[in-house]
Amino acid sequence: MIKFERFKLDNGLTVLFHKDPTTPLAVVNTLYDVGARDEVEEKTGFAHLFEHLMFGGSVNIPDFDAPLQMAGGESNAFTSNDITNYYDVLPANNLETALWLESDRMLSLAFTPKSLEVQRNVVIEEFKQRYLNQPYGDVWLELRPLAYEKHPYKWATIGKEIKHIEDATMEDVKDFFHKHYNPSNAILCVAGNFELDYVKEVVEKWYGPIPAGIKPARILESEPEQLEFREKIIERPVPTDAFYYAFKMPERRNEGYYMADVLSDALGRDKSSRLYISLKKEQKLVSEIGAYITGSMDQGLLVVSGKLNNGVSFEDLDKALWKELDKIQTHPISQDELDRLMIKIRTSKEFQEQGLLNRAMNLCVFELLGDAEGINTEHEIYHAIQPSHLQETALHILKPTNCSLLKVKASNNA
Amino acid sequence: MLNRKETPAILPIEKINFVKPQVFDISTSTKLFFMKEVPNETTRLDLYFDAGTIKGDIGIASFVNGLLLSGTKEKTSIQINSEIDNLGGFFESGISNENAVITIYSLRENILPILRVIQDAIQNLAFIEHEVEELIADRRQKFKQNMEKVSFLAQRAFQQRLFNDSIYGRITNENDFDSITIPKLKHFFQENYLNGLSKVVVVGNLNQDDIDEIIDLTGSWSSEVNTQFENSIKNLRGGAHIVKDGAVQTAIRVGKILFNKTHEDYNDFLILNTIFGDYFGSRLMSNIREDKGYTYGIGTMVAELHETGYFLIATEVGKDVKDATLKEIQFEMERLQTELVSEEELLLVKNYMLGQLLKSADGPYSMTDLYMSVEPYDLDLDFYNKSIESINHITPERIQELAQKYLRWNDMTVVSAG
Repeated sequence: MIKFERFKLDNGLTVLFHKDPTTPLAVVNTLYDVGARDEVEEKTGFAHLFEHLMFGGSVNIPDFDAPLQMAGGESNAFTSNDITNYYDVLPANNLETALWLESDRMLSLAFTPKSLEVQRNVVIEEFKQRYLNQPYGDVWLELRPLAYEKHPYKWATIGKEIKHIEDATMEDVKDFFHKHYNPSNAILCVAGNFELDYVKEVVEKWYGPIPAGIKPARILESEPEQLEFREKIIERPVPTDAFYYAFKMPERRNEGYYMADVLSDALGRDKSSRLYISLKKEQKLVSEIGAYITGSMDQGLLVVSGKLNNGVSFEDLDKALWKELDKIQTHPISQDELDRLMIKIRTSKEFQEQGLLNRAMNLCVFELLGDAEGINTEHEIYHAIQPSHLQETALHILKPTNCSLLKVKASNNA
Repeated sequence: MLNRKETPAILPIEKINFVKPQVFDISTSTKLFFMKEVPNETTRLDLYFDAGTIKGDIGIASFVNGLLLSGTKEKTSIQINSEIDNLGGFFESGISNENAVITIYSLRENILPILRVIQDAIQNLAFIEHEVEELIADRRQKFKQNMEKVSFLAQRAFQQRLFNDSIYGRITNENDFDSITIPKLKHFFQENYLNGLSKVVVVGNLNQDDIDEIIDLTGSWSSEVNTQFENSIKNLRGGAHIVKDGAVQTAIRVGKILFNKTHEDYNDFLILNTIFGDYFGSRLMSNIREDKGYTYGIGTMVAELHETGYFLIATEVGKDVKDATLKEIQFEMERLQTELVSEEELLLVKNYMLGQLLKSADGPYSMTDLYMSVEPYDLDLDFYNKSIESINHITPERIQELAQKYLRWNDMTVVSAG
């Protein structure tokens, strides 16, 4: 049970407070309700580039990191297709330093040309390091536009191409800030050994004067129902053939999301999962295989991916895989198997909630979903899942007309 | 009126509570460390074996480590893994040059049932032929994949030159996989696992009976050997470049043999290390990322071995700025030798490091890890009080002196791949 308090400032900022009397640290987590899905197709990679600029100085403070480090703290951030999340961890008695820094960059940025120029280069190197200069690194750059035709999930957080980042102008940066960075589009969580009154007082002190903004309306192109099997083959200088079967699955606020999550566990979470046992251990078709979900807010993907053993063809794998997918649609899973999946979910959750930072981040995510209390009630949704639900979900999701298949063929020069 | 231009008053860290785990003897040479103060249901159990990659023929240690749950006469690997999963357990096995470590994560109520499954799987490990073949094939694939990464190519060339002709400098090649045989695996396993348990670490709110049972289950594996580790390694100075066609970035590794926690300069050097490259505002990050935009990240570290240690700088940069980056690394080294660090920068680094130490001691898991990183050197938690002392008392002159002594460009091994 994770206890928290919630209050709202007049300017629209939602604040969560989680008390942990056992730690000498404080966490200040700020979730902005903006991600790569809020970009336009001609200017992708922007939410993420912007995240870098948030460390380039704000309106009253030339450098974000140095004062935080001076207070014994550190900070980082990440951008996904759905959200941008910033966090600071520091000794509890210096909480105000983090609030001062975070509130100032919510108020406004410094917008220095040097920061934009340097961070463009840094992000381009990040693009190369993570997506271009790794075997299989560009898979998601290929898979997304195959699986999505209209919805902005069709591009990756890093962006569609390096050129979009190179072309970003100061004008773009400012527009993006003014549209998405304001109190009503943010959720703040303060965690640590504090009293509620104190937290209210210091949050009001630093965030209260920030002018209210308008929460931007999110109108995204909806993804038309997929009616056909899609397949794309790319050749890359990699040593091994790899496959990615991506099935559309329900959005985050849907019960079906949880069912698809458990279904993916049954298929390929660990070494007792169906695909691992059948395709790797018994039939020896693959060297690795797994199943997982993208965890997206809007309609997401359940992905089965792996690498072929030498001498095995994509066709052999395809046949064997569909046979396994068919099994889970035609025969309900046993109670034992379901129990095994559930205890793994419970164990991972306990470990996740060990850390103060994880608790603060998750509270913000659940608040974004509608109610931070969801962090304490989510397990009920999992527990209500029956074998028949999984069978229905499998029938609905695991069909060829709902599938986009990306094959990475190892070219000869590898 | 709210003053947004000035930082709120910064309060110093008054004290850090270091908590020592309880210690039990499993045998004369093997100890169990137990951290009971866990406020929730999570439990972690680590088994350390004296079975690192420096032991045995090249590659053997790593294969044995990968085969620990591969089956017994009675049970297949599928059965063993399913039993662990049925209990909600997570099993990890890992290997470094000096140790092999098995880790189990689970809820408190399941840790012993899981350990019983794993104990049986290891005690009766059969090295079934098709399992061994499968792992060799998997590892071969993985190796080929890694050879496509500039970071991997640079790391192995660095390791070779850093550790020079010592046993630590051995690197695996593809044809080493051909010489793996079941008798060799069995022999290594018998010597270094069934008689190689060097310590056990338990974090979790268990009772004394649980601890007694853990000792019973693992006691017969207690190590009887007293491994001698090398202590006089000298790195090969100067540069080497590995060509990788088609790479859009170049990986750089620069470093030298240094020392571990037992050395008198260790604590002070860590402060120099932080200034130079071990935090976001470091000299290298400020220059090479935040000023020039050559890289997504650059960092330094001090890595430790039982009898020695080494210093490392690692980065991946755009392929056209490799030489420019090396020049800047050298420039920053020399700047630390010739110019005194400002009081303000030093104060920032001191405060930052104290904050990091506070974080490293927060919670039973971090605290245990903190203790376990001094334990191999026969040090105790007082080491960290000395670290705090060192942070509080260091001067710009001392930083400069250490830079002159340890950060000389000509002493470095310099490797790049791209």
